[in-house]
Amino acid sequence: MAAGYAWFLVLGSVLLCNLVKTLLPTISSFLSKVFQKDAEQEMEMRIEIQGMKQELSSISMMDEFARYARLERKINKMTDKLKTHVKSRTAQQAKIKWVVNIVYYVLQAALMISLIWKYYADPVTVLPSKWIAPLERLVAFPSGVPGGVGITTWLVVCNKVVAIVLQAVG
Amino acid sequence: MKPRFHLDLDRSEPWCTPAPSGRLSPFATAVVSGNHHGDVLERRGSPVPDSGDLLGGDTDEDMTGGLRQRAQGEVAGDGVSRSPRRGLQKYLSRFDDAMRLRGQIASVKTSQDSSSEPEELDSFRLFRVFGSIVLAVAVRVFVCKYLSIFAPFLTLQLAYMGLYKYFPKTEKKKKTTVLTAALLLSGIPAEVINRSMDTYSKMGDVFTDLCVYFFTFILCHEILLLFGSEIP
Repeated sequence: MAAGYAWFLVLGSVLLCNLVKTLLPTISSFLSKVFQKDAEQEMEMRIEIQGMKQELSSISMMDEFARYARLERKINKMTDKLKTHVKSRTAQQAKIKWVVNIVYYVLQAALMISLIWKYYADPVTVLPSKWIAPLERLVAFPSGVPGGVGITTWLVVCNKVVAIVLQAVG
Repeated sequence: MKPRFHLDLDRSEPWCTPAPSGRLSPFATAVVSGNHHGDVLERRGSPVPDSGDLLGGDTDEDMTGGLRQRAQGEVAGDGVSRSPRRGLQKYLSRFDDAMRLRGQIASVKTSQDSSSEPEELDSFRLFRVFGSIVLAVAVRVFVCKYLSIFAPFLTLQLAYMGLYKYFPKTEKKKKTTVLTAALLLSGIPAEVINRSMDTYSKMGDVFTDLCVYFFTFILCHEILLLFGSEIP
């Protein structure tokens, strides 16, 4: 028969899955920062470009054309290098986000399947069957226990309620 | 915030060529202008002078008969030539609509990938959820020993249908998805699609209320069991 707190275990699992889902972007950005080795280099390049642009603005193009042109070429070269760097960083971030999402969905699927496997024959809770007439069979699926609440029904209900609660809180 | 774009689902005839307002594809404009030019030439008649003109007044009756015949032939010819033109215009307008929809869906999809937010909880939805919670508690405490728990729920839903008009109606922009675009392009009228979508959204609301109601009922039941109350 139903374990005493099976309904609470399922509810807790669904709540945990939904909370982790809301935190996925944060996890992705954290992992991106951890795996990104040359973040300082990018910052240095930006500072250098900023400095060179300030220097360029102080030089008169008419009076010191050669120096102006040299500095401009240097700025353009550094800017192209920075763009390439940003591009590769963005691609890496997208890859990490994709991997994190895949891992999450695999873990979620595994958790749901294990819960269904565990409570396939046992209902999560039992009520007097006349309370849930005429939908006893549907509610009790797949346990088949009269008056019981099956794992699938409870999972669907919990998912919906947790989504509404998180939406209201968010 | 989910970006929304407005697709003209209110059109009763989705495949009319939008002559005054819609933009035509370059192909459509070229075909229309070419056909118009062809029409003008046909109406003016051939540039070669007719033999009747040379013969003079004796052939006036023949000419009028000929003109009538020519007019009838032109009308018949115009009818025959207009129907393929109309079919072509119809095809081109459908193609134009399809390309526009494709572009819009692509732009919506990219923004949806970046931020997927569910619908906002307006006042009526909040009222529904709150009502379902209160009813579930009341049913668990007082009513469940007498009848099924779903009977009060159905009564509540009927009450919501009546109370809906007393709540401020929020402007819900029609959300166009790939499904609605595919249904539109396959020729299903926009009105049918709108009504179906409304029905499905209402069914979704009822399902949400049912889930909240059932969850609250079970939670109350378990709390009461925990505190040692006897099942009535």
